[in-house]
Amino acid sequence: MMVDENSTGIWVIGEEKEGKLAPVTLELLTIGRQLADSLRQELVVVIIGHQLEHMSRLLVDYGPDKILLVAGEETRYFIPETYSEVLSALVEQRKPFAILFPATYDGRDVAARLAAKLGVGLAADCTDLKIDEAGRFVQVRPAFGGNLMAVIHQPTARPQLATLRPRMVKPNKSGRKVSPSVEYIKPRISAKPFTKSLLRTVREVAEESGNLDEAEVVIGVGRGIGSSENMRIVNHLATLLKAAIGGSRGVVDAGWLPHTQQIGLTGRVISPKMYMALGISGAVQHLVGVRTAKEIIAINKDPEAPIFKVATFGIVADMFSVIPLLAKELEPPAPQTT
Amino acid sequence: MRIVVCVKQVPDVAEIRIDEVTHTLVRAGVPSILNPFDEFAVEEALRIREKHGGTITAVSMGPLQAKEALFKCLAMGVDRAVLLTDVFFAGADTWATAKTLAMAIQKLGYDLIICGMKAVDGETSQVGPEIAELLGMPHISYVKRVEVEMESKSITAERMTEQGYQLIRATMPCLLTATKALNVPRIPTLLHQMAAKKKNVEIMKAVDIGAQREEVGLPGSRTQVTKVYTPQYRTGGGTILTSENLPNAVATLKELLKKERIV
Ligand SMILES: Cc1cc2nc3c(=O)[nH]c(=O)nc-3n(C[C@H](O)[C@H](O)[C@H](O)COP(=O)(O)OP(=O)(O)OC[C@H]3O[C@@H](n4cnc5c(N)ncnc54)[C@H](O)[C@@H]3O)c2cc1C
Repeated sequence: MMVDENSTGIWVIGEEKEGKLAPVTLELLTIGRQLADSLRQELVVVIIGHQLEHMSRLLVDYGPDKILLVAGEETRYFIPETYSEVLSALVEQRKPFAILFPATYDGRDVAARLAAKLGVGLAADCTDLKIDEAGRFVQVRPAFGGNLMAVIHQPTARPQLATLRPRMVKPNKSGRKVSPSVEYIKPRISAKPFTKSLLRTVREVAEESGNLDEAEVVIGVGRGIGSSENMRIVNHLATLLKAAIGGSRGVVDAGWLPHTQQIGLTGRVISPKMYMALGISGAVQHLVGVRTAKEIIAINKDPEAPIFKVATFGIVADMFSVIPLLAKELEPPAPQTT
Repeated sequence: MRIVVCVKQVPDVAEIRIDEVTHTLVRAGVPSILNPFDEFAVEEALRIREKHGGTITAVSMGPLQAKEALFKCLAMGVDRAVLLTDVFFAGADTWATAKTLAMAIQKLGYDLIICGMKAVDGETSQVGPEIAELLGMPHISYVKRVEVEMESKSITAERMTEQGYQLIRATMPCLLTATKALNVPRIPTLLHQMAAKKKNVEIMKAVDIGAQREEVGLPGSRTQVTKVYTPQYRTGGGTILTSENLPNAVATLKELLKKERIV
């Protein structure tokens, strides 16, 4: 295989849903800006969707040199086969050095199809991306349930693809004074389209359960909750903490939370600033999902529960005594009645 | 209906330990298991066969020991098991793995391919969609419910998203990746396990699938692991308070929330 030494540019593939920009896009731009600066290359952000006129306003502060908006009827809904087709045409034409995607359900899907289509490498679910002294693009990613970190290079093919987990960097305004160029592109689907269609999108997670990938605080509910009725008191606490609610496999299997909210080996891996485990024992299969949380708070009535071994703060107590007390502490003082 | 299920043998991640002194992964004594997500894939294939008929082939790329994972698939009830094993395949990254599996699947014949949503060791979620792209078919990933329609040769599936799911229809041939929400895998009886051991796991080598040395294994891989290390996580060793003075414990927690600027 031949490496095209002329390939240049760091591309970030943004994520837009129902007119909203996913926060991970700004995180990708932040890290992308660092890579582009180290290499003295340009930073390009690509958004694929339908009506994207308002997008550039949301992106400019985060330092892209160029904004590519691919908007059309063909790309109205997320179909990875179509999105990767659109991207592959752009890549063949413009030859970027590296392309960063969010490690979300959609991001992983497009990245994988694009990598296979182009015959290039892809480092998945990275926790760090950097340029080494030799100017090589370095990807760092966990494996074996976070027990091992692998440092990856892609010496033989361009572009080099990577997906980055949400919440690995703080979105950072670049402070650059130059305003980026904005280019509108009509999606071109050349190959025979796949017979695949999106029939419907269904929201299962209550608004107050939040997005596990994005929330600063995640409350993890374990079987200690005892019943689905008891979820109410957790919902109240979550509102006070602006927290997303996830849970253990036990709670999901009992049907008290939807499957999307399961945290762990067979669920999701999250990186909140704070993870608050309520009535969770702390099985290894659960803990691999919260290893990169900055703080782990444990509330469990069993002092021997393994969750306390990884906790940065814990209370050995009945959660049904702790939650109301904590909620009371956090509630705004009731207005004075005269 | 020809169903192919791609499976992998993986170390039981829950049993992996880190050597406190050398900070390396202790693999000795760690049991090898069938990747948990592949169990959901096999189970779903069995249910589809029960409803609509057809044959199921489980295919795996790996060393000879990976036969064990295929025996489990046979014990669960698949019709045929194929192990892709060759020195040429060693050191494959996701691209080379997808390429090898796609070449083999091409030889085996297919209408529907089911993979686990990820392997718990490599954790990339890439191989499934890459196989679909290489074979020129659509895929539906993170599937939590599947309906097969024989007349129209189509699949309707619920694809998990961050907040719920999407209902997607695709025509076969098509590839699905299975989540835990899909089903509860059957546990093969001892009798079935013993019967499976007597069955044949077919071996396929690079020549059998027409793979050239440079397109598979380490030479075919686009990513190179240059270093591995065990990470240090900043958790544990924290203050643990008891319920003796609960108001005080809760007040301490509130202070912590304040310090972290959460409230
Ligand atoms: C292949 C495989 C994959 C798995 N994947 C996952 C996964 O992705 N995610 C996952 O979470 N698990 C997973 N598991 C399951 C895991 O091993 C544990 O069984 C599960 O995490 C336990 O959930 P839990 O902590 O809610 O329940 P339990 O282990 O039953 O713990 C409940 C805890 O609540 C405490 N408690 C009870 N009442 C109260 C109260 N009133 N106040 C305070 N504390 C109370 C108890 O002391 C106990 O510690 C997996 C298992 C396998 C084999």
